[in-house]
Amino acid sequence: MNENKSSRVSKFSLRFLQWFCPPGLYEGIEGDLLEQFEIDVRTFGINKAKRKFTWGVINFFRPDIILRNRFSYTLINTIMIGNYFKVASRNILKRKLYSFINAFGLSIGIAFCILIFLFIMDEKSFDQFHTNKNQIYRLEEKSYDTWLQNPKDPYSRSAYLPKGVAQAVKDELPEVIFATRYNPSHNGIVRYGDKIFTEKEIAYVDADFFNMFSFRLLAGNPNKIFKGKLEAAITPAIAKKYFGDESPLGKALRVDVEGDKEFIVTGIIEAAPSNSSLKYGILLPQENSPGYERNLNQWGNFNTPAFVQVLPNTDLKNFKLNLDKVIQKHMGDKLEKWRKNATVPIPADVRMMELEFTQLPDMHLKKEISWDKVSDPQYSWILGGIALLILLIACINYISLALTTSAARKTEVGIRKVAGAQKQQLVWQFSIESIVLSFISMIVGIGLVFLFLPSFNQFTDKAIAITFSNIAPVLLTSTALTILIGIMAGSYPALFLSGFRPALVLKGAFTSKVQAGFTKPLVVIQFALSAFLIMSSVIMYRQMKFVTTKDLGYNKAQILVVPTQSGYNIEANKTVERFRTRFQSEPSVVSLAGTGLSFNQGYSRYGYKIKGEQKAAYVYAVDPFYLSTLGVNMVQGRNFDERIAADSDAVVVNEALVRDMKWTDPLNEYLNYREDSTGLGAKVIGVVKDYHFLSLEKNIDPMFLSMNKKDVGYLGTMLIKLSAGNLPEKIEKVRAIWKELSPDKPFEYTFLDEDVATQYKSYQRWMSIMGLATCFAILISCLGLFGLSGINALNRTKEIGIRKVMGAELSNIFLLLNKQFIWLAMIAFAIATPLSWYVMNKWLKDFQFKITIGWELFALSMAAGLAVALLTVSYHALKAAWINPAQTLKNE
Amino acid sequence: MNKEYLGEFEELVLTMVGILQEEAYGNAIVGEIDQRVGRKVNLSAVHVTLYRLEDKGYVKSYMGGSTNARGGRRKRIFQVTNAGLAMLRARKEQQVQLWKLIPQLKMSAL
Repeated sequence: MNENKSSRVSKFSLRFLQWFCPPGLYEGIEGDLLEQFEIDVRTFGINKAKRKFTWGVINFFRPDIILRNRFSYTLINTIMIGNYFKVASRNILKRKLYSFINAFGLSIGIAFCILIFLFIMDEKSFDQFHTNKNQIYRLEEKSYDTWLQNPKDPYSRSAYLPKGVAQAVKDELPEVIFATRYNPSHNGIVRYGDKIFTEKEIAYVDADFFNMFSFRLLAGNPNKIFKGKLEAAITPAIAKKYFGDESPLGKALRVDVEGDKEFIVTGIIEAAPSNSSLKYGILLPQENSPGYERNLNQWGNFNTPAFVQVLPNTDLKNFKLNLDKVIQKHMGDKLEKWRKNATVPIPADVRMMELEFTQLPDMHLKKEISWDKVSDPQYSWILGGIALLILLIACINYISLALTTSAARKTEVGIRKVAGAQKQQLVWQFSIESIVLSFISMIVGIGLVFLFLPSFNQFTDKAIAITFSNIAPVLLTSTALTILIGIMAGSYPALFLSGFRPALVLKGAFTSKVQAGFTKPLVVIQFALSAFLIMSSVIMYRQMKFVTTKDLGYNKAQILVVPTQSGYNIEANKTVERFRTRFQSEPSVVSLAGTGLSFNQGYSRYGYKIKGEQKAAYVYAVDPFYLSTLGVNMVQGRNFDERIAADSDAVVVNEALVRDMKWTDPLNEYLNYREDSTGLGAKVIGVVKDYHFLSLEKNIDPMFLSMNKKDVGYLGTMLIKLSAGNLPEKIEKVRAIWKELSPDKPFEYTFLDEDVATQYKSYQRWMSIMGLATCFAILISCLGLFGLSGINALNRTKEIGIRKVMGAELSNIFLLLNKQFIWLAMIAFAIATPLSWYVMNKWLKDFQFKITIGWELFALSMAAGLAVALLTVSYHALKAAWINPAQTLKNE
Repeated sequence: MNKEYLGEFEELVLTMVGILQEEAYGNAIVGEIDQRVGRKVNLSAVHVTLYRLEDKGYVKSYMGGSTNARGGRRKRIFQVTNAGLAMLRARKEQQVQLWKLIPQLKMSAL
């Protein structure tokens, strides 16, 4: 009957009451509530009574009840906390080596996490500083790709649009309030007085640029600037470079980008911060961009990114439809023509081209659309994963090291318990100890962050700085992290140590075992992680070594790459000729060749249809000295010859092209890459052995060389092969001759081998990051092994003592103690090997030319890992083996 | 906080504990207040006040025997301590003193 009644009330309410109510008060309160409930059932009926009961319970959920009798509890704790800190600091100082290992491991973990946190923050902060960021969109084109024919996604996307788009969109769509075009990174020669430099960050924009983006105009009138067509806005750095201390406003700066023009400086604009997707040194009005007139009404040339600012609360679906209308109006006929002339049939429901858009802050992580600083969000994930792994390893260490030292603290625990300490208090004590240690680690970790930041920036190609604006979140995160680590790492030892039975401990059961069975799997995990990192970095290192030392089919040593600086016209070819004639009397220069593009400067590719089949080939504009300067071997036929006039339209092809065309006698063939309807096309005069004109990520695809200026282009670059010997001296000689022949142009050079190496820069960077992570992972997991071997030696003290008394050799004991670690390491390798094999195969997929992952790589890594592990565990093993048995056995 | 201070509600609850004697527990006090001064009070408020009075040393409590009602839960019975009684007496005398200071006005007949 009674049970019935109490069971009629909500179980949940009762449980809730029990949860928050101090045990001393619980029964009285519950009874009163139930009594009232019985009365209520009679007066109001069961349902209302239930509700009243629940409401009654909730009414009791108040601080006066919840915190009652807890106060006296905390009072004792606060008294003890002082003692905990004192004991903690004494313990840390007493075991300096252990404390150091622990703090060191944890601080590296924390430092890594903070660095990664900074990295992710920086990625997220890109373009966030613009006041109008939510209204600014980058326009993009999505067009049907008739070339690559990717069945999964047949579209290609790009931010490069016809020049007319920005103005048309602004004029025709009411929701667009501002629009600017933006052509960054033009190279030009800039002159003021006697100062002549090449500038690489010349950007062409429209007047609205200054209204849309939040780059501050430090001098000049934002409403008037760029109303004139020959104005310039420059950053303070550029101002200082050309004008020194004088004010640049109103002064004329000569800028030569395909034609010399004079611009009046009317504004000084704050330089873009490092987390900006837009960058510039000198801003010039769009109207001056190369080929402006030619491109403006030509809606077929896609060469200019555009940004628009729309009214707040613009309906984006509508905006998209409006953009479609603009495109239809200006390009409708053209698109129709493209569709008809396409080399492959195009499905009727496919639109040849349409406009899309991305909000300004999102463009940084939109990796599908290439942009100067665009980045793959995957990097953040990988880095975050590495940081967490290292942190996890460090925490595991803390646990196993804390357990190692537990024997020494048994007596302390026993006495504390006898003196009346409750288990909960001991848990508190040990938790506080680990939190103290992790706070020390945090301070060291933040120090390490400052130490590592420059090299981290180098690895990740960032310019992160710790400033007042980001120090607060960093400190906040690291504090939260520290407390988390402290609790995570401290909880198990705390529970373990507080569980000692005082009677046993104080009776002197000194040889009892530290039951730390669970640390073994932890060590296996640690070691597997390190092994994974070791193997991955070895493979990465091998591959990078392979790509940098592989014979590319040409000789890249001792070659200077010098831009002709004469613009894209016949002048460039003449410059090459002038230099060649002059260099004939210069012994330092072996030969000089002209080419349209050197390696890693981009490529041009011709698409053409032969016998109804779509083909594509890379093309390089060259001169007759190209092949000899690079030392490329001919397989058949001959090189170009200046004296044969017909050679100016002939081609030299590579073996891949011969295979692609299925030619049996290539020297009697013609390559009709211009799709001449009347002629046969260009005569093939020679075949070169395949060489890697692109990076090793790519296959050697069909390629041809030509001297045809009209169709293939001009010689924008000189390749200067220097004779062996003192390099700087020879470069000086070339510079002197440059001064003589092109006195008004800046002399710039790179080394061909370095250009080729920079193709793999991002891989190199990842290799460095992996290498660094591997070092730390090995270091930290060695610390973990060290801890575990300590536990092991401790547990077997008595056994070793007896064995020694019975006459065991040092080596026997050493072996006995190390056997299990070798097992653990083997298991770890067994886990790590397939994992790294899988991951590394994925990584190597990026390369068409790669090393084969053989078993010897794994064997090597394993041997290295085992050696390190053995070295680590030897300390405890030797210590245990050397100890005098009398010392260990006297305890019994 | 001044230990001598006693709030109005605290005084009311303390008085009820005095009145109810052996039957002074949460629900009974709520009922007694309702019956004698016609005031609906919350059970939890009464409990909190009782505990506060206990902290101040004006009441003490013990668990009564279990009964069949209330799902077999025992009652926490409160008793006025000597300090509590002294406090109540002091308040009464204080009030009488103050009452005497009011000029004895006659109720005006309307």
